[in-house]
Amino acid sequence: MAPEKTEEAPQPYRPYGAELKETRPYSPCRAACPAHTDVQAYVGLIAQGKYHEAFEVITAPNPIASVCSMICHHPCEQSCRRCAIDEPLAVRHLKRFAIEKSLDYRRAKRRLVKKTKGKSVGIIGSGPSGLAAARDLADFGYDVAIYERHPVLGGMLASAIPPYRLPREMLKEDIDDVISKGIEVKTNCEIGRDIKIDDLEKRHDAVLIAIGLSLSRSLPIPGVGGPGVLLAIPFLQDVAFGRKPALGKKVLVIGGGNVAMDVARTARRLGVKDVSMVCLESAEEMPAWKWEVDEALEESIKINHRWGPKAVRREGAGVKGLEVVKVKSVFDQNGRFSPSFDNDQTSLIEADTIIITIGQMSDISFLKDSVVKVDERGRVEWDPATQMSSARGVFVSGEVVTGPGSAIAAVVSGHRAALAIHLYCQGEAIEGNLPVQEKERVEQMPAEVVEKVAREPRLKIKHLAPEVRCDSMVHFEIGYDEAEALKEAGRCRGCGGGAVVDQKKCMACLTCMRVCPYGAPVVTSVSEIRPQYCQACGLCAPECPAEAISMVSYDVKEIRRSLPQVVGRVEPGRKEPLIVAFVCTHHVGVLGFDLPKNARTVPVHCTSRVDVLDLLKAVESGADGVAVVRCGDGTCKYREIAPRVNARVKRGQDLLKTLGMEPGRIELLTASTGNGGNPYATVVSDFSERIKQMGLRGVK
Amino acid sequence: MIVGSQKPIEEIWEMVRDFKKVLVFGCNTCVAICHAGGEKEAETIASLIRMRAQQEGKEMVVDHLGVMRHCEPEYFDPVMDEVRKYDLILSTACGVGVNFLSDRTGSVPVYPGINTSFYGAVEAPGSFVELCAGCGNCILHMTGGICPIARCSKTLMNGPCGGTNDGKCEVSKDIDCAWYLIVERMKQLGTLEKLSEVLPPRNWSTSRDGGPRRVSLEHIRAYEAQEGQDSGTAGGMK
Repeated sequence: MAPEKTEEAPQPYRPYGAELKETRPYSPCRAACPAHTDVQAYVGLIAQGKYHEAFEVITAPNPIASVCSMICHHPCEQSCRRCAIDEPLAVRHLKRFAIEKSLDYRRAKRRLVKKTKGKSVGIIGSGPSGLAAARDLADFGYDVAIYERHPVLGGMLASAIPPYRLPREMLKEDIDDVISKGIEVKTNCEIGRDIKIDDLEKRHDAVLIAIGLSLSRSLPIPGVGGPGVLLAIPFLQDVAFGRKPALGKKVLVIGGGNVAMDVARTARRLGVKDVSMVCLESAEEMPAWKWEVDEALEESIKINHRWGPKAVRREGAGVKGLEVVKVKSVFDQNGRFSPSFDNDQTSLIEADTIIITIGQMSDISFLKDSVVKVDERGRVEWDPATQMSSARGVFVSGEVVTGPGSAIAAVVSGHRAALAIHLYCQGEAIEGNLPVQEKERVEQMPAEVVEKVAREPRLKIKHLAPEVRCDSMVHFEIGYDEAEALKEAGRCRGCGGGAVVDQKKCMACLTCMRVCPYGAPVVTSVSEIRPQYCQACGLCAPECPAEAISMVSYDVKEIRRSLPQVVGRVEPGRKEPLIVAFVCTHHVGVLGFDLPKNARTVPVHCTSRVDVLDLLKAVESGADGVAVVRCGDGTCKYREIAPRVNARVKRGQDLLKTLGMEPGRIELLTASTGNGGNPYATVVSDFSERIKQMGLRGVK
Repeated sequence: MIVGSQKPIEEIWEMVRDFKKVLVFGCNTCVAICHAGGEKEAETIASLIRMRAQQEGKEMVVDHLGVMRHCEPEYFDPVMDEVRKYDLILSTACGVGVNFLSDRTGSVPVYPGINTSFYGAVEAPGSFVELCAGCGNCILHMTGGICPIARCSKTLMNGPCGGTNDGKCEVSKDIDCAWYLIVERMKQLGTLEKLSEVLPPRNWSTSRDGGPRRVSLEHIRAYEAQEGQDSGTAGGMK
C-alpha cells in the first residue's frame, strides 16, 4: 500500500558529531565499503540499543540494505582492524539484526515525496543501481519511472540470486521503501520490445540505463549445443520464478566464481545429490569467496580444481560428461587472466547435466540503431566523469558499464548517476561535481597497541545443518538474537570514532598523554591524538582541563547536554527515587539492559567517558541518585579504567558533601555475572533501595 | 606556572548569592594545567552554584565559558560583549587574571573563583610544588639551583639554621630543609666551597614591598607606544 501523505524528502539522520567525523580519517570498515556506510557508527548505536538510529545510518547510503545484510561480500569485515587482534567484527550479521529490529519503524516512515522539480527521469532496470538512482532522484523531487522487463522489481536480486541466500521478503522491504516515495513502476516492460529507447528519451527529461549483466556467456567447445547443457542465468531465473529446470542425477557446474557457487548450491537444493564443479583455478586462486566455497563443501559439492573444459561428450542426444584438460597456469607473469593448458593430460568428468557459469554480459540489443552508441566490442560508450552515454540526457550506471562487481558497488554507481542526472536537469556542470570515492582511512593498529587489546573471538553465526538446508530453498543462516547482537557489537574498537583535540583550546598540559593507556596522544605545541593508536575508550576526554578533547562518536558532551531530557520531569510526589544510571554498553548482551522503571539509563561506550560534571549535572537535573555502572575488571574491554572512574565518583561525592548532600547519592556500581541473572538491573535496584532509605530530594 | 586551588563552594556562594546572572569564566592556561580554573573546572563550579541556588530556592542563571588566558586582552576581547551581559563574572583565573579582567569590564564586577597559591611545577600529575617566590633578584646560581627564599621556611640567605634535623625543617617533618638540600646538591656539583662566602644582606626593593612591579621592554614598547597601545590596567602605565 502506498502511503497517502506527501512530504518533502526527509532530512537524512545525522548522528551527533557527523560534521566533525567527515573531517577525520574514516574507519577502515567505512572506507572499504563502496558506499562508505558508517559501520563504526551503526555498530556503536546497536551496542547502545538504538536500533532505529542504526537503521538510519545503515540505509542512508544504501537503499538495498536488507539485501546487503544477506548477501553482501562485506569488505568492511575484511578490513576490520580486529583482524590483527583475533577475528573481524560480524558486521553483516549486525546489520541484519538492526534491520530486522526496525521492520515496523521502516514501514511506518514510508512517505510519498513531493515532486517539486517538474521534470521526469526514466530508469531502465530495477537492480541495485537503478533502485539507488530512483531513490535519490525521487528525494531530489523528480518524477521517476522504472522500466523492468521482469514481472517483479529487483533485477538480478529478484530474478537470479537464489532464495536460500536472499529471502524475497527482505528484498521486498527495500523495494517498498524506494517505491513508496511515489515512483511509477512499469514491470513486464522490455525496452526494444514494448517501447523504443528513442521514444523513452522523448518521454523523459533524462534516461538512465541500469540494466546490469543479464546474459550468461557460453563456451565455444564441441557438444555445447543440445539438451543437458544449461546457462547459469536462465537456470537461476527459472528457479527464482518458481519454474523447475530439468536436471539429471549428476550435475556439473563449470566455473569458480560466486555465481557458480549459487548455481551449484541451488542444484543441490533441487534434489540433486551429486553436484560437482570444475574450474581453472586452484582452491587459493578461485574467485569465489572462501566462505561460499566452505559452505558448498559442507553441502557435499565436489570441486575439481585446475581443469579446463574441452568438449561436452554426448551419448545419443544426452550428455555423458565433460572432457577436461589440465591447467598449467591461470595467470600470466603480469597477473592477467591467460590460462595455459597441458594438452597431454585430459580426463572425463561424468555428468548428465552441465551448467555453464563462466561470466555474464549485458543484453544491449535494444540500443541497435538508437541514439546511444555501442563500441566495436559491444559495450555502451560512456564517460565515467559524467556517467553520460554518447547521447545527451541518456545516462548509464551499474554493471552494464562497470563490469561485474558487488551489489553495493552498483548502488554507488546509481548514486553517482542520480547526482549526474540532477546536475544535468538543473543545467549545472557534472564533471568535477561527482563525489570522490577514495577516502583517507585510519591506519592499521600498531603492534604495541594490538598487544594491549583483549582477545575476544567473534560470535559465530549459526547455519542450518547441511542435510537440512539442502532440502529446501529456505534461507540457511540463523541471525543473531538481541543478546548475541549486543555482545558482538561490543567487540567493535570504535576506529575513527575516538578522541580528537580542539587545537584552539589545547594548552599542551600533557594530561591526555599521561592518561592514555595506549600511547595515542603526542603533545608538541598542542596535543594530537593519533587515530591508529586510539581505542576510543574516552578516558582522556573528561580529564582534559580545557575541555579540548571530544570523542568523534558518542561524545561526552552529547551525553551531558541530553541529561535534562533523559531525567525528564521530576514528580514532586514520587514514591520511588529517580535514578540516573550511566551504563557501560559493552556488556548489555551478557549483563542485561532492563533496569528498574525508576532508573533512567544513559548508555555510554565505556564508563571512562563519564565525567564528574555528568554526575553533577544528573543531580542538578533532579536525580535522587546517580549510578555509574561498570562491568567488572575481568570483562572491561579497556585498560586502566577503574582507578580514574573511581576517582571521579569520589570527587562527585565530595562535592555533594560540600553542598550538604549525602555523598552516597553518587555511587560506582560494578555489575558482573556474580550479581544474578540480570546483573545491571540487580545492582541498580539495590542502589535504588539505598537511595530510598536516604530519602527523595525535595519530597517530604 | 601559576598554581591555584579552588575555593570552597560556601565561600563562593557568599560572593555570588545576590546576583541574578553569573558567568563562571575559566582561564585555560596555568590554572587549567593545575585543574583549578580551566574551562572544565569553571563548568564544575557553575554546576555547584546552580545546585546551591536550587537549595536556597533562588532564581539564578549561571553559565560558564573559557578562554586561553585572562592576562592578555587579545584572548578575551572577542567574547567581551557577551561577558558584559552578566551581573557578575566569577573568574577562575589566577589573581593576575582577575585584576586584569576587572579593569576592563566596566560596571560588571569580577570576583575570584579560586585562590592563587604560588609559582610552581607539576611534580607528578595532580601534585604541584612551590619553587619560586618571584623576588625579582635571582640567586639560584649561588645555591645549587635550590631557592632558599621560596623553599626555606625562614627565607634564610646563609643557612641552615639550628632547626635543621636529619634533612627536615623544624616547622614540619614533611618539609625538606632547603639548606640541607642546597648543601647536598652543591656537594654533588663540586661547588660546595662557594658556600664559604657569606651572602650579604639582600636588597628587597625588587620584591614584595614598594608597590606593583613592572617590567618594561623598551625595544618592544618603543613601537607599541607609538601605536598608542596604552595599558588599560587601573593605575597602569600611561
